[in-house]
Amino acid sequence: MSKIIEAKGITKRFGGVVAVNAVDLSVEKGQIVGLIGPNGSGKSTMVNLVTGELLADEGGLLFNGHDISRMPLYKRARLGMARSFQMLRLFHSLSVEENLVLASHMRMTTSVVDSLFGRAAAREETERARAKARELLAWFDLQEFAERPVTAMSIGQQRMVEIARGLMSEPTLLVLDEPAAGLSPPNVDKLIVLIRRLRDEFGISILLVEHVMRVVRDLCDRVVVLDSGQKIAEGVPDVVVKDPVVVEAYIGSGWKRRAQA
Amino acid sequence: MKPYLIGLAVALVLAVAPFVLGGYETNVLMMMLFFVILAVGLDLVAGYCGQFSFATGAFYGLGAYTAAIMSRDLGSPIWLNLPAGAVVAGLFGLLLGIPALRLKGHFLAIVTIAFQTIVYLVISQWTSFTGGQVGVSLPNPAPLTAFGVTLVQLGSLRSYYWLTLAVAVICLLLAWRLAHSRLGSEWIAIRDDETLAAAVGIDTTRGKLTAFIASAALAGVAGVLTAHAMRGVTPDDFTIWISATVVAMMVLGGRGTFIGPILGAVFLVLMPEVLGRLAEYKMLIYGSLLVLAITLMPEGVIGRLRRRAAR
Ligand SMILES: Nc1ncnc2c1ncn2[C@@H]1O[C@H](COP(=O)(O)OP(=O)(O)O)[C@@H](O)[C@H]1O
Ligand SMILES: [Mg+2]
Repeated sequence: MSKIIEAKGITKRFGGVVAVNAVDLSVEKGQIVGLIGPNGSGKSTMVNLVTGELLADEGGLLFNGHDISRMPLYKRARLGMARSFQMLRLFHSLSVEENLVLASHMRMTTSVVDSLFGRAAAREETERARAKARELLAWFDLQEFAERPVTAMSIGQQRMVEIARGLMSEPTLLVLDEPAAGLSPPNVDKLIVLIRRLRDEFGISILLVEHVMRVVRDLCDRVVVLDSGQKIAEGVPDVVVKDPVVVEAYIGSGWKRRAQA
Repeated sequence: MKPYLIGLAVALVLAVAPFVLGGYETNVLMMMLFFVILAVGLDLVAGYCGQFSFATGAFYGLGAYTAAIMSRDLGSPIWLNLPAGAVVAGLFGLLLGIPALRLKGHFLAIVTIAFQTIVYLVISQWTSFTGGQVGVSLPNPAPLTAFGVTLVQLGSLRSYYWLTLAVAVICLLLAWRLAHSRLGSEWIAIRDDETLAAAVGIDTTRGKLTAFIASAALAGVAGVLTAHAMRGVTPDDFTIWISATVVAMMVLGGRGTFIGPILGAVFLVLMPEVLGRLAEYKMLIYGSLLVLAITLMPEGVIGRLRRRAAR
């Protein structure tokens, strides 16, 4: 099976802290790969390295076999990557619908100049993006919020809008950073169904950072475990969570951090 | 359609105004139009795109000096100076946009102040080219001609006022289209969250640079109009005070609201006329208003009204 994303020995330092240390990570096409580990183990940093918010200090990154390690964020998005954020991020002065439409600008074929002069083709293209945004919102049962500001929604609903935004550009790789954070248990169940549908019906490959073990066990074909920036285990979820090294990292992280302080 | 109709109605009222008003008042209205262009221009980069700039005065001056120097050295007419002023100011806008790709907030504001200062120093010191403190004087604007036929006389105050009004209408129309085009919503996205904008595939470099260019080009057009209206330019017409005044107009009216900065410009240009002798304290009053507005109503008058309406 070919790999949609492949990181080889990727390293990121923040001053003295090595947030991600020579990590190999890959997602095969059509798979859901989990990235887990205790707080501060480097998961979000890894996500940022993959999507391009951060550039790696060392190591390589391939997308569909092409080197993208120096490619800026917006170009990676155009290649077919979309993401959600651990700390919710939406455009606060825009409506929910406008938030989604912006994510499809990069796919539009009419030029900005066409849009400036209000040419019919550009107007129609924006209209189509709006219709698609509404369709997606309906899929998430959020259609009544289309014209409202994003702040009118609950945290859980905003998380769904982040995922809907990701789908607007028809990505091939979706990177989700703790999508279950702040969701109630019934909503976590819905999220699990949703993520599975994204893979099964849309064929999107998914890199899933998650804290909630249930989500990881239900969804992931494979998991990678980070601790203090290093990969300590990798494999099928049911096996990995019983791995003594992993258990030690999760249980031990509490007092280990305190011991360091 | 509605905003276009309102704009048209206001433009028509302004067009007939010189028939009822005296020369002095017509002049004030003309000044008002210059500042409306400046305030809307600043709103594009600072209000929509979120890149604060204290350099409006510099771009205004660059446009004005382009017109003055081209008239002096090439004898070029105003219809040529207008696009030339827009292009020269726009190019310098691009130049100032480059540091904005890396800097944010206060640091960017400081760079724009430095740019403003450098432009002032150059136009006041490069005597052989800019005339130094004395500046450059311009002849009466030549009439608009086509194939040897005179279309419009621009020598009289009224005809020049109408030209200004026509150019202002075109500028506002362009700015409105920009702000409401796809590019305009990308500017708003950059203002709200630059990283997120890039993460959804928006070319933030293009977004920021186009905002700087558009803003500077509009200021340049206002500069050309001013230079021909005043029959001359001096460095002191384009100081940081101008920049600060335009910032005050934008902030008071409400940044990123389009109509707000227009109303801010109208209010701050007309206010000293109403104040009479108190007008000497104009800057003091502007300053106090600005402090009050930023403390009590940081989103400006129109911003506040819109938020009320949204609730
Ligand atoms: N921008 C940053 N600057 C400095 N240190 C950072 C930055 N981002 C993350 N870190 C550090 O890198 C480590 C990993 O953080 P992070 O990737 O957020 O972990 P996780 O997502 O697994 O909780 C932590 O020690 C954190 O303090
Ligand atoms: Mg994290």
